[in-house]
Amino acid sequence: MVLRIFFPQCCNQADSGLLVGHWMPGHDSAVVLAVIHYPFIPGQVKQYLQQMRSQSGVELSVLGSWSIPKEGQEHMESFLRDLSTIFPQDCWLQLSRTIGKMGFNCHVIYQDLNGSTTSCKAAKKNGKIKGCDRESGEDNEEELGDEEKMILIHYEQRKVMQSQLHPIEVPDTDPPSELREVFQTVARSRPLFFLDRYDDGPLKSTHWQSQGREASIIVELLKQASVPLCLLISWLLSKWTRICNFSLFNLYPLRFLSSKLSTCDQWSYRTEHMRTLSSVKPAAGHTPFMRKANILVSLLVDVALGVLLMSWLYRDNRISIIANALLPAADHVAKELEELLQWLMGAPAGLKMNRALDQVLGRFFLYHIHLWISYIHLMSPFIETILWYGGLSACLGITFALSLLSDMVALLTFHIYCFYVYGARLYCLKIYGLSSLWRLFRGKKWNVLRQRVDSCSYDLDQLFIGTLLFTILLFLLPTTALYYLVFTLLRLVVVMFQGVLHLSVDIINSFPLFAVGLRVCQPYQLAEGVKFRVLCEEPGTALHLLMEINPLKCSAVVQRYRVPTYSCYPKDSWAALVKKLFVGELIYPWRHKTTKSD
Amino acid sequence: MWRVLGSSPSADKTWKVFWCRGRGQNISRVMPREMGPDGAPGQVVPWRKVLWEHQPFPDNYVDRRFLEELRRNEGIRQYRYWAVVKEAGFVGQQLSSVAIFITLWLYMEQGLLSPERLLLTCLLSTLLGYGLHQTLTPLTKSGCELRTRLADLQSATIFLSFTFGFSPVLKTLTESVSTDTVYAMSAVMLLAHLVSFPYAHPSPPGSLSLNAALFASVCLASRLPGALHTFAMLSCALLVFALWPCLLQRLREYAPNQFTGLCVAVCVGGVVGLASQSPGGAVLLALALGTVTLFCPLLLVRLQRHKDNIHGPWDEAEIHEELGHILHS
Repeated sequence: MVLRIFFPQCCNQADSGLLVGHWMPGHDSAVVLAVIHYPFIPGQVKQYLQQMRSQSGVELSVLGSWSIPKEGQEHMESFLRDLSTIFPQDCWLQLSRTIGKMGFNCHVIYQDLNGSTTSCKAAKKNGKIKGCDRESGEDNEEELGDEEKMILIHYEQRKVMQSQLHPIEVPDTDPPSELREVFQTVARSRPLFFLDRYDDGPLKSTHWQSQGREASIIVELLKQASVPLCLLISWLLSKWTRICNFSLFNLYPLRFLSSKLSTCDQWSYRTEHMRTLSSVKPAAGHTPFMRKANILVSLLVDVALGVLLMSWLYRDNRISIIANALLPAADHVAKELEELLQWLMGAPAGLKMNRALDQVLGRFFLYHIHLWISYIHLMSPFIETILWYGGLSACLGITFALSLLSDMVALLTFHIYCFYVYGARLYCLKIYGLSSLWRLFRGKKWNVLRQRVDSCSYDLDQLFIGTLLFTILLFLLPTTALYYLVFTLLRLVVVMFQGVLHLSVDIINSFPLFAVGLRVCQPYQLAEGVKFRVLCEEPGTALHLLMEINPLKCSAVVQRYRVPTYSCYPKDSWAALVKKLFVGELIYPWRHKTTKSD
Repeated sequence: MWRVLGSSPSADKTWKVFWCRGRGQNISRVMPREMGPDGAPGQVVPWRKVLWEHQPFPDNYVDRRFLEELRRNEGIRQYRYWAVVKEAGFVGQQLSSVAIFITLWLYMEQGLLSPERLLLTCLLSTLLGYGLHQTLTPLTKSGCELRTRLADLQSATIFLSFTFGFSPVLKTLTESVSTDTVYAMSAVMLLAHLVSFPYAHPSPPGSLSLNAALFASVCLASRLPGALHTFAMLSCALLVFALWPCLLQRLREYAPNQFTGLCVAVCVGGVVGLASQSPGGAVLLALALGTVTLFCPLLLVRLQRHKDNIHGPWDEAEIHEELGHILHS
């Protein structure tokens, strides 16, 4: 049987007094939380503890006595023993320090119900208990073997109180581990630490805040100021929600459009975040608090980056430079596309294409590019204005600017999207036609009811027309496939660019900046476990260990505190994507996939 | 020489196979009493070949009556040479029809045959063949669904309109594909047509054979100089590959003598037609026809003497995937 006593480091130099703490049921261990100094009136101590118990919910009790010998304080032995009768406990600790020695002297006095006491001096030398003297305990000699040991574990009270042990959620069926109970006990006994030396009360105590409470005026002021701010924001939000729910905005084309624009997505996402932030009630528990803090910090960082971007954008007339560069760029892209189409209409890469179909497709797409260029030229006087007002959105955060950029890219490359859709539809039609006509060619058919291929006897005219179509489709397939391939590659480039934008927006939105900052600046706050270091192993004293906190790994921090967002990661695996591309199904930017597929 | 004589399912679902050395006379010597692994305890109870009764014999026991039920070459048909030749005539004439089609295509490609004339010929022969088909179709044939004239007309309209409509498309279809590729594809497809042709019941033509032939004819027709040529060629292909076998089948059923004569005529026509374009090809065709119609039936009749099938009251041992398992155990 080993007795473990968790002792706060701040009480090492404390004056003599009473040890206040908590015996942990089920484990042979006690947590010392504070030392109440002499002189005191026992009744007041009892009353104070009762008050603390009701405030914190921890079973606080007087564990024993703490003494540092000073001049003129000899013959304490009998006084200390008398104390144990004032505060009746099953187990009475007597800790004392001697000048010049690192280790503590520890005595444990067991009090039976009948009043007889047994004392045991824990002293460790070469792994053996040496002196263990007993007084008037003949009747319970058997219970106390020679293996009575004591380990003093020193902990830093401030860190333990502020740290959160991970994983946070533990299954209810398991009894909480000893370590978790220590952390909980220290964290819950916060009211005990409000008593500092400037208090005028009858009691004086030592703990981590006994030199004065730690707090920041700025934080307190901010806390006070945030309440009306939150109220204001939530009022604005409610107005905004009412406007959004206006029936005009729920009409089909607007809703469809807004579901396709990533700026609208970002807007709704941000609204939801603001709603989370603006609730006046303080966050209950560690997880909601961290979530709120993460959202707040990423919001601030987002806005700061956006303001930086704006300050760059609106200086030196950069907007008009960009707007002037945009039109030649679009022209250039169109010209490149035209050249590509001309190349495709010849004999690209020596491939044997069907000339007639090639010409038809090529002219169709050329006409489309022509239409597109006219559209861009029509838009050109307004581009600078659009950019100027669009740039203003950066003050809401860089994510808005990026989402707007993504939308603008989508609009500017709409012709590529159209080409892709035409090519994919044509190709898809051919693939499906060929696959079913190939079954006809072999005299088979697809049985829909049994989901299998059955043999079937066709009529003569069916066979004739089927074979005719099969031949035509087969010989026209390479041409279509080439057009499809080229435009799919173009489309993939655009999708990749948009995907990168969406990914960066998502990272800014969901990255737990606050938690990572906490991990970097105050690693003890996110604890994963503890490690023990042997502090001193002097002969004649108990084993002294120092408890140090193991911080959580950075990757685990990111994984644990990531703000959940709508997933913009590809739902399909790469193989499924390749299969879709091969069959000719349309692919969309990753974001819309969840809404597309039901 | 080891032969599998019999097998019986034993309790653990594996098949025990009886192996006996030699032929019949040896078996009769090996057979009595020690045939089973333990021998029979006594001959008081007569053995019966049933497994549902409890008998004092092991499961794999058989007595001397075992081979009495051996039968050889059961239900054999004795072929006569000329009958077989007559039947093989269908194969020969199909080979020859393909040759005729190729000949026509060669004529068309060289401009020796105008598409109008080919179309006219096709039309006339179609009408002639349709009339013959209708006369041969028995009016009393009940139970089988009879195609009405309207349905026939509808089919013909579909054929002609689709072919005519698609012929410009088909004309440009293989423009960019090299001629060798087209020839190779056609040859493979025609071969597939010949191999997969349902010679026993050609009257609805088999899907794969007809499709392969049509594919080949589309490939070949797309090589011709004009759209009308393509149309004529495809109509001709339809006639040769789809309609002609149906008529021939009717003839085989109701006028066997004329059928033989027609087969010979087609064969001769094919050889002569090919000879006018390529004599070497004609020689090859004649050789092939001779092999198929004369030599192969001779071989069949000769080899039939060596046929030796035995049937008996045993299950034939089939050893496939558990071979390794049996060898190791």
